[in-house]
Amino acid sequence: MLAENIWRLGSEKLLPGMGRGTAAEGGGGGGLRLGESRVESPLHRSSTTARSTSRLRGYSLPPAGCQSPLRPPPHSGEELPIVFVEKLNNAMRLTALSRAAIALGLTPNLTLADARARVPELVALDRDHQAEARLLARIVAGCVRYTPMAAAEPPDGAILDISGCAHGFGGEMGLKADLVRRLKASGITAFCAMGDTPEQARALARFGHKTKDLLALPVEALEADAAVTLALRRAGLKTIGDLARRPRKMLAARFGDLAIRLGRLLGEQDRHISPERPLPPIFALRRFAEPIARIEDALACLEELGHEAAKSLLERHEGGRRFVARFFRSDGAILPLEVATGHPTRDPALLIRLFRERVDVLSDPIDPGFGFDMIRLDIGQCEALVARQDDHLAPSRHAEDLAELIDRLSVRLGARRVHRVRSENTHIPECAATVCAPSSPPTWEAAPEGEPPMRPLRLFDPPQPVGAVMSEVPDGPPMRFTWRGKNYGVTRWEGPERIAAEWWRRRDRGGRPRDYYRVEDAAGHRFWLFRHGLHESGGTPPDWYLHGLFA
Amino acid sequence: MTAAYVELACASHFSFLHGASNGVDLLARAFELGHVGLGIADRNTVAGVVRVWLALKDARTKCHETLGEAPPDFKLVTGARLVFADGTPDIIAYPETRHGWGRLCRLLSTGNLRADKGDCVLRLEDLLAFHEDLLLIVLPASTRREDEGVERKVEKQTILPPDEGEALFSSNVIPAQAGIHRAAGAGFPVDSRLRPTAEVYPERLPCRQSRGGNDEGERDNDGRERGNVIPFPQQPTHDILTRALATLRAVAPDRVWLGAAMRRSGADQRKLAKLASLARNADVPLLAINDALYAAPEDRPLQDVLTAIRLGIAVQEGGKRFESNAERHLKSPAEMARLFRDCPEAIEEALRFHQRIRFDLEHLKYEYPHEPVPNGWEPLAWLRHLVEGAALRRWPDGVSAKVRAMIEEEFKLIATRPDLPYYFLTVHDLVRFARSKGILCQGRGSAANSMVCYLLDVTPIDPAEHDLLFSRFMSEDRDEPPDIDVDFEHERREEVMQYVYERYGRHRAGIVATVIHYRSRSAVREVGKALGLTEDVTTRLVSTVWGSYSSRMEEERFKETGFDLHNPEIERLNHFVAKLLEAPFPRHLSQHVGGYVLTEHRLDETVPIHHAAMEDRTFIEWDKDDIDALKLMKVDVLALGMLTCIRKAFDLIRDFDHPGQGQGQTYELRTLPAGQADVYGMLCEGDSIGVFQVESRAQMNMLPRLRPRTLYDLVIQVAIVRPGPIQGNMVHPYLRRRQNKEKAVFPSPAPPHDPHELRGILGKTLGVPLFQEQAMKLAIVAASFSPSDANKFRRAMATFRNVGTMPQFEEKMVGGMTKRGYSEEFARRCFDQIKGFGSYGFPESHALSFAILVYASAFLKKRHPAAFCAALLNSQPMGFYAPAQIVGCARDHGVEVREIDAAHSDWDNKLEPGAGAPAVRLGFRQIDGFKEEWAQAIMATRGTIRAGDPAQRIEALARAARLPARALRLLADADAFRAFGYDRRQALWEVRRTPTDALPLFAAADARELGQEEDPQLPVMPLGEHVAADYQTTRLSLKAHPMSFLRTLFAAEGVLSSAQVNDARDGTRAKVAGVVLVRQRPGEGKAIFITLEDETGITNVLLWARDFEKYRRPVMASRLMEVHGILQKSEEGVVHLMGAHVIDRTFMLDRLSEEHETRAQLSRADVFEHPQLPRDNVPRGRHPRNVRILPASRDFH
Repeated sequence: MLAENIWRLGSEKLLPGMGRGTAAEGGGGGGLRLGESRVESPLHRSSTTARSTSRLRGYSLPPAGCQSPLRPPPHSGEELPIVFVEKLNNAMRLTALSRAAIALGLTPNLTLADARARVPELVALDRDHQAEARLLARIVAGCVRYTPMAAAEPPDGAILDISGCAHGFGGEMGLKADLVRRLKASGITAFCAMGDTPEQARALARFGHKTKDLLALPVEALEADAAVTLALRRAGLKTIGDLARRPRKMLAARFGDLAIRLGRLLGEQDRHISPERPLPPIFALRRFAEPIARIEDALACLEELGHEAAKSLLERHEGGRRFVARFFRSDGAILPLEVATGHPTRDPALLIRLFRERVDVLSDPIDPGFGFDMIRLDIGQCEALVARQDDHLAPSRHAEDLAELIDRLSVRLGARRVHRVRSENTHIPECAATVCAPSSPPTWEAAPEGEPPMRPLRLFDPPQPVGAVMSEVPDGPPMRFTWRGKNYGVTRWEGPERIAAEWWRRRDRGGRPRDYYRVEDAAGHRFWLFRHGLHESGGTPPDWYLHGLFA
Repeated sequence: MTAAYVELACASHFSFLHGASNGVDLLARAFELGHVGLGIADRNTVAGVVRVWLALKDARTKCHETLGEAPPDFKLVTGARLVFADGTPDIIAYPETRHGWGRLCRLLSTGNLRADKGDCVLRLEDLLAFHEDLLLIVLPASTRREDEGVERKVEKQTILPPDEGEALFSSNVIPAQAGIHRAAGAGFPVDSRLRPTAEVYPERLPCRQSRGGNDEGERDNDGRERGNVIPFPQQPTHDILTRALATLRAVAPDRVWLGAAMRRSGADQRKLAKLASLARNADVPLLAINDALYAAPEDRPLQDVLTAIRLGIAVQEGGKRFESNAERHLKSPAEMARLFRDCPEAIEEALRFHQRIRFDLEHLKYEYPHEPVPNGWEPLAWLRHLVEGAALRRWPDGVSAKVRAMIEEEFKLIATRPDLPYYFLTVHDLVRFARSKGILCQGRGSAANSMVCYLLDVTPIDPAEHDLLFSRFMSEDRDEPPDIDVDFEHERREEVMQYVYERYGRHRAGIVATVIHYRSRSAVREVGKALGLTEDVTTRLVSTVWGSYSSRMEEERFKETGFDLHNPEIERLNHFVAKLLEAPFPRHLSQHVGGYVLTEHRLDETVPIHHAAMEDRTFIEWDKDDIDALKLMKVDVLALGMLTCIRKAFDLIRDFDHPGQGQGQTYELRTLPAGQADVYGMLCEGDSIGVFQVESRAQMNMLPRLRPRTLYDLVIQVAIVRPGPIQGNMVHPYLRRRQNKEKAVFPSPAPPHDPHELRGILGKTLGVPLFQEQAMKLAIVAASFSPSDANKFRRAMATFRNVGTMPQFEEKMVGGMTKRGYSEEFARRCFDQIKGFGSYGFPESHALSFAILVYASAFLKKRHPAAFCAALLNSQPMGFYAPAQIVGCARDHGVEVREIDAAHSDWDNKLEPGAGAPAVRLGFRQIDGFKEEWAQAIMATRGTIRAGDPAQRIEALARAARLPARALRLLADADAFRAFGYDRRQALWEVRRTPTDALPLFAAADARELGQEEDPQLPVMPLGEHVAADYQTTRLSLKAHPMSFLRTLFAAEGVLSSAQVNDARDGTRAKVAGVVLVRQRPGEGKAIFITLEDETGITNVLLWARDFEKYRRPVMASRLMEVHGILQKSEEGVVHLMGAHVIDRTFMLDRLSEEHETRAQLSRADVFEHPQLPRDNVPRGRHPRNVRILPASRDFH
């Protein structure tokens, strides 16, 4: 029914040039199907962003309780009044509400404090627009199954041009049902409508739940400025029909683009949508009339392919991070080789060097058998890489050399065997460094000049207890100690470096501090020792540990 | 030899978000550890030093008094840690002498006035300009933060005048060693002599080049204009340090030290050795410090929390941004000696440094400005002259003996303190200025006890007439300065404030600071964030803290929100919040509402001056208590909305001169006919909307029971309906006695004493102690308190809630009274009543000043309801009620109120001749968003708009007044074009196309630009929609009440109107519906009061708290509410509906018009919409204006 109604409207006011290359299909559906674009919008019911979250619930809600261990567990069975809040004009306001919250009479734009005064058990979460945009992008990407012409209408809508696409789904109604079913399956409530122009479809999806009659839609369906809508309402013009009956000139003189909006809504004018299309993957291949049997030749060919791929990458201002070469043997076997780099690159020379490294370290060398009849190079992962001009005065290639070295080592030793050590934001020595991917940026501050290293390079884990420590009370250095059954006499020392425990990890906000000393014995061994705790009168003397050795 | 030590680098919590300990705790700790003294040096401020100094002074006297011992030898020195913006390392500066203190204050003022509130931009050259008599400890590092060092735009900086040569000699500051500078600099500004020249300061420090580079200013994210932003410098290197030492040594050879701290950071000894060699090379001594941020190592977590708050991070992310250990506390001399064993001379140097300082805050001498005394007069004689002259004018036939005795008594006291005459004269000067400008003003508070104040025209009360005690105002044994608070019209107070700045100069006048402390809400929020709790959790916790009465977050509060104190995160939050609240912990400085300190000599040599957040205000960094402690005097310039209203009403009446409708009477506050029976009659009926102080629901209910007939009845009315007396159970005994249902009994003491002594004290209030004065007199007379004890008792009352000193007074008072022969039961009852009103009790004199305004406003309301209505509207926002109720009330009293009209209205609401009586014409100011300049432009075109069709007239108006499109639309939406012949709908349709910028050709031809347009055939706007749109644009409608459109619907459901409810019998079950005006939850929150309004009047609903919880949502959300309940009628005819069932009917308003949301404005007294600012239980931070309105209501979001 719905489609028919719109169709009738559309057919009356058909403008020339509206068809989008689908006119050839004409005649299929009883005269109404002539050359019209079909636009469908899987939209949320209302124009208010507020309600849109009910559809986002499946995605944008973090798993219960993950924000804070303090959140009371959700009531079993009953839906929680969840609202999403944003800071607007210096106040936290609700901008999106769950169905349960709407049912309690909360409205968007209410301040959180007010809402809480009414519903103390409210669950308020921060609105995450980016997550919503990502979700919308995924939905739109999924809609490509229906039509290549799918575009997102942020924040909560999408437009599909389904001209000529519906037959694969059992007609428009079938397509719509399929769309709604799929979205519902992922926990998204969608409201769809069809129209001749994007605006028409949009208006019907958002405001058409009471009536499908365009002229009976409220003026809000024009989605004009709030002040304009209010003025129209104050003037007593409440529906699209009220406006449509009055001369457009009159509206244009008062409300600017309102006449254009009206025209679009009524299907008198059209605007194009800009669909998002994924870029095709980059690859290069070469077939051979005669299979080539020598590895050297195959690698030479791979280098050529590398040059081709680099050209495509350059056009897109991208570089590859992952490269897969496939050698198709004439007996049907496919031999894949994969290399990855820490930074995006499109340098064929580098690429071929890495591939050679890879070939060299193969435990099971490539066996060309009766030769390869095809070689193909795929760029598995791309990242933006802007063209850069080298500094010709001081060609410092240091960083790149290092990156190259890392890549080569990774290829040779395996990606998980090359690390970088990252400094962590803590005073606790054993937590102060962690390993991370070699491509991550360096985080260490340069040591002040002329200062000896304050910490040994390697630490004992756990620290080794030392015995028979003689030290001056309360905070003197160890003068003599025993480690692994051997006595050491300290001749030189520096310290203490007192490091307190991280009180926030402890219930009692306490924790024993450690006094670290760098000490040297008569033989020149250098140790890093600490006293665990302070001397307290009457208490047991604190223990000593060896935490590391300097060179 | 036992070790000795003094910590000279110690930050108190006035180093906001750096220091973690109260200065007094630091003092106690230093004393406990056996230090010989303590140096307090906060970051670029001396805001916290006075309280420490005072604590030490008190401790000394206490020691002396109670133990009879000589006070221990412990010297507090006060200075500041200078944090520079230009990369110079921090320097701790201590004034050696009074002159040095002046320099330090000048230096800090210079930095403060270059920056916005809260920041201070110092450069090394500033120090070089003001270095005299300052002892300087250079530290090896800078603690400048990245958000500091932002200059104001140059033209917005305040420049204090430099010292003039002549001014030097009148300065109260005598430099100790500045003789040479003096001699050379006679007649020459001191500053310029010392401004760094190339020889003194050869090389500029890094980052200074930026100066002047960006004078254009730029906008930061908030859109605020910023001046020069000094880039964040690197930590000072060895070179910079050396250079800074050399530079300073060049100007101050024997006053520079290098500070070294041993923080147990590993390489301490090597660093110390390096600093020692640096010091040797620079030829300055090394000085031992520990750079303490807190008193004891246990305070480290709190300091970390503060750091996290400062950085806006959670402690878990703090890591290396926190100190690695808890070493920055005060350490024992023995430990310091051990730490500095390589360099014992550094410790000795600290002691020497400490000994060398001769300055003590005691040396700050205060002098009143001479301005108010004419040349050739002695201040006392001039005051006497003024008073005698005024007395002669007041009583031309001669002064009565009583008055004469009072004048003599007061002068006797005034003469004992040479600065007192100045004080009176200064206040008199302000009042005189205000009067000369036609600004109404009136003294309030205890000054009304003074005959001199009365005769100087400062206060309106004749103390002789009311038997007021001068000693309540000031007395010999009360060794504190008097406090004269003067209220000015709130809209014109700024004129008075600017007069003060102009007359005395910004370097001699400053507003007192108010220290804003952490309170439960802010503490929970900020600590919660710092501990990594989500905003959601803290908001929930905060939501249960009602007001800020609780100085701790009580455990129950946590439980109420469903959080368990055994949860470690919650326990931790509770711990730190409690720490912040117990002190109380300062958060930042703000300006006091109106207290000025004025000085004869430079104020900026006594205390640093800051920019306030408000434009054109500068304030000093000490608060009221500090000022009191140092015996500086303060003049309060307060604002009172009702004075504005009364003045506007007087003006309207005077200027309205139409035969038969008013003769343009000229009223003055003082000469208003007193004791008019009809005025009191109106009040007796509880008809008091808009009347000062007695317009709240509780006051309105009390009026018919109290039936005030004299001014003194109003005094009691004002004082009795307050939380103190209500909670102290005084209201009912007083009412019973007043209604002669009970005899006022005055028990007598045992024979040797006067059997009628109580009658004298409590006679006026029928035996119920209502006022603070009575409590004090009771203590003195009946319980034999000494006056100084009574005064302590008064203070205890004021701070009763948080300081547990009351019990000791209870024993003393009850004991004293029983000893004199009163029954213990009576004595306890008296005490309980006094305890009850605690800090909420009014002094009688204060109530008297207010009662005068009550009477004045009631007089205007009764005799000139139209003028009163217009004046009230013109003074908004003020008082309890929204414009709709003020207008509604005026119409109920027969005032004709006319709509806003482009052809007739002014900006202000005004009077027009009406049928028999003046009518009120609403002004453009009632339209939300309309600007005064548009209104003035429209007013200027009056009479020039030629006749024509409505569209032509609108176009002509728009062109003549050059109105922007927005103004026209607002007028049309407010239905203000009716006089032109268009109703709202036609007008708004028309103005949307009315051109506002006349094309030159059309303007020249004066021709119409718009052609005729065909009739749009808009539907007629129904009345309901008009009313709804009226509410939307002006928040009131003269056309109808929204409820009138719904009456038939409601009547069909059996819902009664307010009029029917008020006529119904006691005990009837009734349903009533209306627009919600006010929701209040007074006192302890056991009941909610809701006022509903419909077209016939109002209904008062009372809802018990447990029912409220049941109906929370409808109560909080309804604009249109239906309540079912039982009627309760009191003898005096006050009707309440005891609510049992609440239904939200707001959606019914949509029936008026589905398009226009009918937005009924809640009254300003609604506690939910307008939560009362939580009062500080520490009286120091209290906003004097808050004394006015409400019984303390609790916000329970």
